[in-house]
Amino acid sequence: MKKLLATTALASMLASGAFAAELTVGAANVSSYLDPGRDHSNVGSQFYYNAFDTLIDKNHDTTDTEWVPALATEWKLIEPTIMELKLREGVKFHNGEDMTADDVVFSLNRMYQATFTPYQVRARDRLGNFEKAEKVDDYTVRIYAKRAEPLWETLLNLQQVMIIPEEYTKALAGDPKVAEDDDYEAFSLKPVGTGPYKVADFVPGERVVWEKFDDFWGEKAPLDKVTVKHMPETASRITALKTGEADIITNIAPDQLSLIENDPDMKAEGSATALFHVMIMNQNHPVLKDPRIRQALSLSIDRDALNEALWLGKAVVPSTHTLKEFGQLYQPELTTFEYNPEKAKELLKEAGYDGTEITFDTAPSYYTNGLLAAQAIMEMWAEVGIKGKVNVGDKWTGNSPDLMVRNWSNPMYFADPFGCFGVMWAPNGPSESEGRFNTDEDYAKTWEKFRFSGDVELRRAAYAELMERIKQDPPVLPLYRPYESWAMKTNVNWAPKPGHIPYVLDFRAGSISFN
Amino acid sequence: MSDLTSSLPQTSRRPYMSLHRIPGYTLWCKADWVLRIALIVGLILVLLTLAAPLISPFDPNHQSLISRLRPPLGFERYKAGFFLGTDELGRDVLSRCIYGLRLTFALALAGAVIGLLIGGTLGLLAGLVGGVFEDVVMGAVDAQIAIPFTLIALLILAIFGSSLEIMVLVLGVYGWEQHARIVRGEVRKLTGMPFIEAARAAGATPLRIALRHILPNVVSPLVVQFTLNFSNIVILESTLSFLGLGVQPPTATLGSMVGVGRDYLPTAPWIVVAPAMMILLLTFAVQILGDWLRDHADVRLRSR
Amino acid sequence: MLSYVLRTLLKMAVTLFIIVTLVFFATRLSGNPIDFVIGEGITQEDRQLLIAYYGLDGSIATQYWKFIASILTGEFGLSFLERRPVAEIAAERIWPSLKLLLSTAVFTFALSIPLGIAASVYRTRFVGSAIMVIAFMGYAVPPFVIATLLVLIFAYTLNWLPVVGDGTALHFIMPTLAMSGMFVAALTRFTRNAMLDVLGQDYMRTARAKGLPERTVILKHGLRNASITILSVVGLQIAGWIAAGSVVIESIFSWPGIGDLLVRSAIMRDYPVLQFGVLMVAVAVICVNAAVDIAYAYADPRIRLAKG
Repeated sequence: MKKLLATTALASMLASGAFAAELTVGAANVSSYLDPGRDHSNVGSQFYYNAFDTLIDKNHDTTDTEWVPALATEWKLIEPTIMELKLREGVKFHNGEDMTADDVVFSLNRMYQATFTPYQVRARDRLGNFEKAEKVDDYTVRIYAKRAEPLWETLLNLQQVMIIPEEYTKALAGDPKVAEDDDYEAFSLKPVGTGPYKVADFVPGERVVWEKFDDFWGEKAPLDKVTVKHMPETASRITALKTGEADIITNIAPDQLSLIENDPDMKAEGSATALFHVMIMNQNHPVLKDPRIRQALSLSIDRDALNEALWLGKAVVPSTHTLKEFGQLYQPELTTFEYNPEKAKELLKEAGYDGTEITFDTAPSYYTNGLLAAQAIMEMWAEVGIKGKVNVGDKWTGNSPDLMVRNWSNPMYFADPFGCFGVMWAPNGPSESEGRFNTDEDYAKTWEKFRFSGDVELRRAAYAELMERIKQDPPVLPLYRPYESWAMKTNVNWAPKPGHIPYVLDFRAGSISFN
Repeated sequence: MSDLTSSLPQTSRRPYMSLHRIPGYTLWCKADWVLRIALIVGLILVLLTLAAPLISPFDPNHQSLISRLRPPLGFERYKAGFFLGTDELGRDVLSRCIYGLRLTFALALAGAVIGLLIGGTLGLLAGLVGGVFEDVVMGAVDAQIAIPFTLIALLILAIFGSSLEIMVLVLGVYGWEQHARIVRGEVRKLTGMPFIEAARAAGATPLRIALRHILPNVVSPLVVQFTLNFSNIVILESTLSFLGLGVQPPTATLGSMVGVGRDYLPTAPWIVVAPAMMILLLTFAVQILGDWLRDHADVRLRSR
Repeated sequence: MLSYVLRTLLKMAVTLFIIVTLVFFATRLSGNPIDFVIGEGITQEDRQLLIAYYGLDGSIATQYWKFIASILTGEFGLSFLERRPVAEIAAERIWPSLKLLLSTAVFTFALSIPLGIAASVYRTRFVGSAIMVIAFMGYAVPPFVIATLLVLIFAYTLNWLPVVGDGTALHFIMPTLAMSGMFVAALTRFTRNAMLDVLGQDYMRTARAKGLPERTVILKHGLRNASITILSVVGLQIAGWIAAGSVVIESIFSWPGIGDLLVRSAIMRDYPVLQFGVLMVAVAVICVNAAVDIAYAYADPRIRLAKG
């Protein structure tokens, strides 16, 4: 029985020593495929940054926007709709191939001019303004936008446009000269990138193993090997940390934090993640058609109380749909959402709400505290006279005409309101297309100003206008930025970096070390 | 082995008459210590179930977010009146246990009875009618045995939603195939026996034979199966909650309290321990009672 | 005998056909995988594109036909979630599941048979009752509670046993214990009851009358006859063993097994995986049951001669 203790000690000794730094991560969820292009899930975003690069990187130590050269060393606009980028020379893919303009053009066009359905779907909401990428010479590419783009760097920093090797991908299935659907399917099981770690082993849903990539173009990886293992149960993950079977574990609910904090061998790191847990409301449901009813649904929720009770006060309750990460577009001065039960009661009376049951759909466990918050909201609704009922299920009901209210999350896919609010609530975007959100010409015009204005002030004003529209006829209420925690052994120095999109496991140089 | 004295199949002599008349008293006199404990526990649980609204100190669904996760009486941070502490939404664990027991009891009983009725009837008919009907029933039994029940439950709940009615239906489907097999097997065995043939020769109708002669003889294995299913249904319900498919919140059942509360086992064990103890007591009482009934009924089946 | 075997095989085929058909239609009724896998927050046009891409756009009859054809050709398709052949996914998980099943079975038998015998022999004494009371505990506590308690005691607090995966022999201790709880309870009880049935039989009295020692009477005459009943009961429980109990255990011990796969694919509506998994489990269960049937028939002269 002493043996287990001994091996644990040995492992941590090795980990802290200079020779072989290895790390095991116990993850609540592991991706079922690894392709940065088709993925935008919260589970997937954990896994891409270690193995893949974008053309332009970002300083992740700060929420401010500081672009950093990555696979592109310099970039400039040669026309408002054309950007030219110089590529870094001597970059190697994990399979040994050199990265050239061909790979970059291939990677970008697989999204910009997608033929593979999952890429088409993913590109539509955020890359719609990009026409194509073209090779100029082996280390120069040009990217063509359809109209002047205010977010060039942001949209080249996306996970979806990380660079993958052309020849390798095309040769995975069928004709080695042609990119077929099967090539992309095969790629998502055997991904190859240019990052500091290569994916040495991947069992979908179970395990991802990264190994140090010695030919990485930048500062070499600090760890020799990282194994991410699927450990679905919270108690088991925490125990694995305790027995030494894991060095870092993900998804610690706030209620479990005391367990970690009271233990000298473990510590927790966390942050209010760059996403909102939201409550969406169907504007077109007969019972909710009157905006006053939806306003009341929203006004009756004491989000601060939810935060204090369920998140120990560590979550962030927003006054409008805005995040600090938006930089100049951060507008905390707007008040779009508030708690006012008295007003809620009045509005219900005015609208003639007759006590019809209002269902609140939620997945059983997907969102931390999701089910608890749903139940607490039912109680808050009851306070103002709304009869609510929680409906638990794994099915996505956001596209059903019967949907009344449900929870969802609105991640920041990139650091701009367009990458958060915009992805979900654009005219003809997913929410409108699913039939629970209506826009008109006015909204579309304001949207255009917000999306494409070159002037930040104009964009700010337009966004404030959009928020006013949302306030008047609400389809959504951001509940809070959840506080996500990771736990680790005390000798591990790691924390989520503020400049990342949510959930990224960043083990690059400078991001992790041992005491 | 004194039981062996009565060695004829009892069919028309109504062997349980005295027991039927005053079951409680006779049972108590014949009971050993285990059964006596089980009887007392069972009685208390039944009383709790019946009197839930009277004795439960609070509304089981009333939340108080500011007093979440308070420990039971005798621990630091105890909140007066909440003897077994509060759960993750500040609801009274004791009240939820009592109401949960009530619902679990009802669900398990309804589920087990429905399973018994469906399975017993089909098995009886299959055994008596034979032919294609028997093949169809036994084919369905084989199919049911070969599919893990959790999956069947999952699909039914997915198709029809997980309302309480559907839950009863799902739990009712559970175990029918065992009953059908048992009954059909017993029927096949009994129909060849001299006393049935004698009854038939004497002009008894098939219905009469089924009800008067066969049914009493399959009661004992059915009772055992029934009590097994009862416990299994209680556990099954908790497993469904574990998978997020149980009774819809905020409604409390013992299974859902345990299934949903499991994450709190290290930090707030009372949320889980109290309902788990209730499950333990409930299934314990039912099992012991079932076993005792079996021992005392089965004696008459032993001679072949 | 041969015609009996053929009949059994035919019955197996029919049963399997019914099972796959039922599973096919039940899954189709229960929702479109797109709404579980990737369907959140995409436009309706994109939803249609994905439905077409995953081959879910045909009429249900066409899909059913494709499905039956796929079974006959042995091409079971790709998982919606993992985009690789379902047979490959299942193959990865069979062995870990089987290992756990075996260790559970061995442990269960080793414990329950002696306990069951003792409980039947000492039925009227304290020991008998005590055994049954302890055995009932296995029934009475949900397996995930037993498992979590074991984890908290032996791994979290004492740090004696590992909790993740199936790497070493030590890894098997807690999952085996937790899995066995229910089965030990069941088997002890079945053994006890089967033994009680047998102990009252005439041949037992004959054996005793012959002056054989009690040990021999019970083990040789009693257990041998009771074992037929016990085995047939165990055969029936296999499907339950594979999925019902194990999914929670697999999830607690991060055990990459088949129960977890089946339940996850059912929740996510990963039809190809679910269909293949159910088919696989059904074949296993039906084969075991058929083998038990045939062995039974062979062992029992009444059936052997009647059907012969």
